[in-house]
Amino acid sequence: MVILQTVLNGLLTGGLYALIGIGMAVVFGVMRIVNFAHGALVMVGMYAAYFAFTLLGINPYWGWLLAALALFALGWLLYRGLVRPVMGQSDFMQILLTTGIWLALVDLAQLLFGADYRQINLAMANAVVRVGTLRLSAGYLLSFAVAAVVIGLVYVVLYRTELGRDIRAVAQNRDVAPLMGIDVERVSAAAFGLGAACAGAGGALLLPLFYLYPTVGDPLLLRSFVMVVLGGMGSVEGAALGGLILGVAEGLTGYFWTDSYSQVVDFVLFLAILLLRPSGLLGRQRA
Amino acid sequence: MSGGRRRLYLGSLVALLLLLLVPFGVQNSYYLQVLFRIFVFAALGLAWNLVGGYAGQLSLGHVAYFGVGAYAFTLLVRDLHWNPWWSVLGGVGFSVVAALLIGSITFRLRGPYFTLATIATAEILRLLVLNLKDLTGGAVGLPTPALFAGASTDRAFYAAAVLLAAVAYALNLWADRSRFGYYLMAIREDEDTAMAVGVNPARTKLLALLPSAAITSLAGSLYASSFHYIQADYIFSIDISNQAAIVAMLGGAGTALGPVLGSVILTTASELFKEVFQTAHLLIYGILIILVVLFLPGGVIGFFGRRSRRRAQREPGPFAGSLSGEEGSPRHSSSSST
Repeated sequence: MVILQTVLNGLLTGGLYALIGIGMAVVFGVMRIVNFAHGALVMVGMYAAYFAFTLLGINPYWGWLLAALALFALGWLLYRGLVRPVMGQSDFMQILLTTGIWLALVDLAQLLFGADYRQINLAMANAVVRVGTLRLSAGYLLSFAVAAVVIGLVYVVLYRTELGRDIRAVAQNRDVAPLMGIDVERVSAAAFGLGAACAGAGGALLLPLFYLYPTVGDPLLLRSFVMVVLGGMGSVEGAALGGLILGVAEGLTGYFWTDSYSQVVDFVLFLAILLLRPSGLLGRQRA
Repeated sequence: MSGGRRRLYLGSLVALLLLLLVPFGVQNSYYLQVLFRIFVFAALGLAWNLVGGYAGQLSLGHVAYFGVGAYAFTLLVRDLHWNPWWSVLGGVGFSVVAALLIGSITFRLRGPYFTLATIATAEILRLLVLNLKDLTGGAVGLPTPALFAGASTDRAFYAAAVLLAAVAYALNLWADRSRFGYYLMAIREDEDTAMAVGVNPARTKLLALLPSAAITSLAGSLYASSFHYIQADYIFSIDISNQAAIVAMLGGAGTALGPVLGSVILTTASELFKEVFQTAHLLIYGILIILVVLFLPGGVIGFFGRRSRRRAQREPGPFAGSLSGEEGSPRHSSSSST
């Protein structure tokens, strides 16, 4: 029974991971760029939701919308200003550039808001829901539910809108897409914005559950990448599945071992999947 | 031996002698400590340069060897009562073994996969050291053994750092001019083509990593001893990995002089603007990286140097042009085709 409880909790966390991982998958799919600033964007989203809550009194379960919009704008600007110039360059330069953005964002947060741990207190997030003998945190349930809705929205954007069609076209073939009349630059900026928005919404939904501090997003960079790799590079569904797997794996590690090792398991999983099944669980080998 | 080459070697030797004479002129221990840091980080950047600069493999996990060196050195003295200097060498042994393991895993990966794998391995080590409290002191940390004692400690540390940087510099010069170095550069420019002409990328990269890890390990022990104290979050901090890369990129990655120049600039700047750097060193690093990538891909040397011959790649730096072909595949192409 305790195992079932652990697995369920893992799934709930995994749903949040999934949202963040999807953001990275979209950016990677369209631009073939691994955004090393992705974890930092989650952190920015958390701060956005934090201030929306403390200054404007907006509950994070609505505040995620604000965070997503702000991060979409930030992502768009980052792409236009910094990322676009390195698009044709080696991945060496792309990684360095996004690493620079990562460090700058984290330290900017540190300068502006200090290194203090912050936390918001939501009565409804602290409640416990009992299902039979299972006890689930209402905060996790709510965050999971909203994350599921947001993932649904992203799915609709990607598969039911014109923008989504363009994004998928560019992801499929960056060279041919412009021949079909698609403005690749606009689509890339939108995709980068969409990826950042997922990170931001994910961050906002983590806010009721976790402490907030400037480096809170750093472990999420590697986690996002683990998800993207698990799911097959650039596959959105794969990344979502990867998030759930990761959440459960971490939960079980914490249960059988200790929490402090759950991240070690993430990394080992990451190396193992890269070496043993590089195309991911759902991915097709791209040649 | 050509005249130019002889001049270079002679010049380097004279520079080394002059640098070793500095402590006789500079008595101020603060300046000596700054100079010590300049050369420790130069050594770190030069070590990184073998893998990141010449072979073009963006490692952001070099702190692994730094930390393994520092901890092995400390623990060998504490638990096995080795002589501190033998312990430093023991640390090199551990780091080289770690490099063999980490390299044989990570070098099978490319591009972002490789970079993230290096971060992941360094993080695994940090978490292990943090959690193995009985051995490593966990989050509390450990005092480190003294390598030098007495009145001239600062001078001794400085001289040791200069010698280490000199060895690292010599290795870089060798990479700059030897057949092995050309293999590395061929891998950087185009791994598949390099393989097609008979270079074994996996083995060559691993061979470059071993001396790189050894130098990094020595720098770690030296730094740990000068700091009197080590702690996992600090000695395995990704900051140190980043700094190695920044120092090299800023000065000019893939050149022997670049990391030295980069360390002089970065360390001096961080001393001059200590207040700013203490509160915002990551912000400065971040902005520096962005500026270097966007405006100075060849580093300071690439900007000022009319570096003739091989480095005559004009505008873009050594990395800007090499668009890797199959970004979709995380693995080395040979391994997916077999």
